[in-house]
Amino acid sequence: MNTVIRTEKLTKRFGSLAAVDGLDLEVREGEVFGFLGPNGAGKTTTLRLLCALIGATSGTAEVAGFRLGRQDSEIRAAVGILTEQPGLYERQSAWENLVFFATLYGLDGPRAARQAEHFLRLMGLWDRRLEAVATFSRGMKQKMAIARAALHEPRILFLDEPTTGLDPDAAKTVREFIVALRGQGRTVFLCTHNLDEADRLCDRIAFFRQSVIRIDTPDHLRAELYGRSTEIRLMPTPRAEDLVRVQSVVGVREAHLENGSIIVSAADPLRTNPLLVRALVDGGAQIAYVIERKVHLEDVYLSIVEGRAKLPADLETSGKVP
Amino acid sequence: MTTLALARTPERGTLVRAVCVREWREALGNRLLVAMTLLPPVVILAAGIGAVAAAAANPPSDRDVQAMYAAAPAVAGLDPKEAIQGFIATYFLILFMLIPTVVPLTMAIFSVIGEKAARTLEPLLATPVGVGELLLAKSLASTIPSVIVTWIAYAIYLLSVSAIGSQAAVRAVTAPRWILAIVVMVPLLTMLSVNLGILISTRVNDVRVAQQIGGLVVVPVVGLGIAQVTGRVILDNDAFLQFTVILIAVDIAVFIVARLAFQRENILARWR
Repeated sequence: MNTVIRTEKLTKRFGSLAAVDGLDLEVREGEVFGFLGPNGAGKTTTLRLLCALIGATSGTAEVAGFRLGRQDSEIRAAVGILTEQPGLYERQSAWENLVFFATLYGLDGPRAARQAEHFLRLMGLWDRRLEAVATFSRGMKQKMAIARAALHEPRILFLDEPTTGLDPDAAKTVREFIVALRGQGRTVFLCTHNLDEADRLCDRIAFFRQSVIRIDTPDHLRAELYGRSTEIRLMPTPRAEDLVRVQSVVGVREAHLENGSIIVSAADPLRTNPLLVRALVDGGAQIAYVIERKVHLEDVYLSIVEGRAKLPADLETSGKVP
Repeated sequence: MTTLALARTPERGTLVRAVCVREWREALGNRLLVAMTLLPPVVILAAGIGAVAAAAANPPSDRDVQAMYAAAPAVAGLDPKEAIQGFIATYFLILFMLIPTVVPLTMAIFSVIGEKAARTLEPLLATPVGVGELLLAKSLASTIPSVIVTWIAYAIYLLSVSAIGSQAAVRAVTAPRWILAIVVMVPLLTMLSVNLGILISTRVNDVRVAQQIGGLVVVPVVGLGIAQVTGRVILDNDAFLQFTVILIAVDIAVFIVARLAFQRENILARWR
């Protein structure tokens, strides 16, 4: 897979304040890349750097094959950015807004009109295309801003908090749009505080505070921090021999009783779980359900970024193991 | 799968047209802005035509004639009624030079402060367009309507004075140096006012404050008018040429300073 963003020791200082400090990053083509960090961590500054909106103090970066600081205009043509604020011309219609920006991206008249129509329909705003943006709801404005960012079909789309303030329906539209972009082979660089959204959408996640703390897939981060465990609920309650049977299955690292369930930790649950089920059934146990104990990304975030680890016993359960 | 962006840097003409059309739509949707843009030329035009008409209808007093001869020795010897119309017509031509300093200022200020307030500058700067080209396009968006308004006001004034004024008045408003002033100096004064407006807007967030500061641009023009009325300055061909050269130099200097202030990073990171 091609690398579309590569930074080396990228640094941005405002006076004595280092907003971004020695950022080393590689983002692959066609992935949804989550960029998570607390407020004031320098996420927006990083976005502005990578979109060639501001210059770096030191370090280098290559975005969509173009060198930051030398080919800034080419970078801006190859990327799209959704800023924190929608920043639309409120007195003008949705159509006028999009056609204006399409023109600034160098699209000729017919092409600009085609792209504006395509994205207005995609975002469900076609019927209101001639209305002033000032009459739109927050969610509609956000969808307009996303349409504007994607209007010229950029190779990389930088989205800063794309679903903030949106109702569930609008948020779903935006998430589906992000998934569709990935399907087209485009790269999405997603800044969000919505960790559930990041978990659902992102192929990889970077935890960031002035520089990258960790980058990995959400599942790897979970597994590394908390392992991968399975909860087996037995009816009416687990017996001592059930626990012994489970502990003897190949691949099981650890098993214990907890609130009427057996909690099993295994290196490869997909391989181990069927063996566990068979062993318990053969032993005469009544299995009510088997579920994966999934650590919320929030816990991973808090552990890595804030250094606040949660105890395994506090973790909630979700998601069934096949 | 490799995807390619459709975008490229737009042609300069296309960019200027797009920015102008957008800004004019925005301006036309703002009644206050339209009123503030049209009020000065309407007032100056009405006052100028009214003054020439009043002078045509009423003979001047001896005191008026003496004051006029002192201020404009060149008209001594002419019929006082004729001469005073010519004098008044010329005086209002100087006031016409106020239009390009006042009219575009409001629009230029709204053009930058309005975008700052609406947070529309960041998406605009995220396009492949260069900031210099954007500044030029914004300047022209404010300059073009102002120049057209001034020229239309002058054309109406010229026709009105020709219809109601004396020969001296007609000669005054059709003097080659004044036609040249309207054709050449009006655009230069407009550009000066616009770029000063943009420059001020980079530092100020309130339209009213920016207008108050920008209003100072009328001071030299008003001073020139007073100097002419009191006879301290004679606006002959040499004086016009000198003012034109000075204006060109000041225009270039102000545009360069505005361009330096209008930097992507300044706008995003330092403008508040």
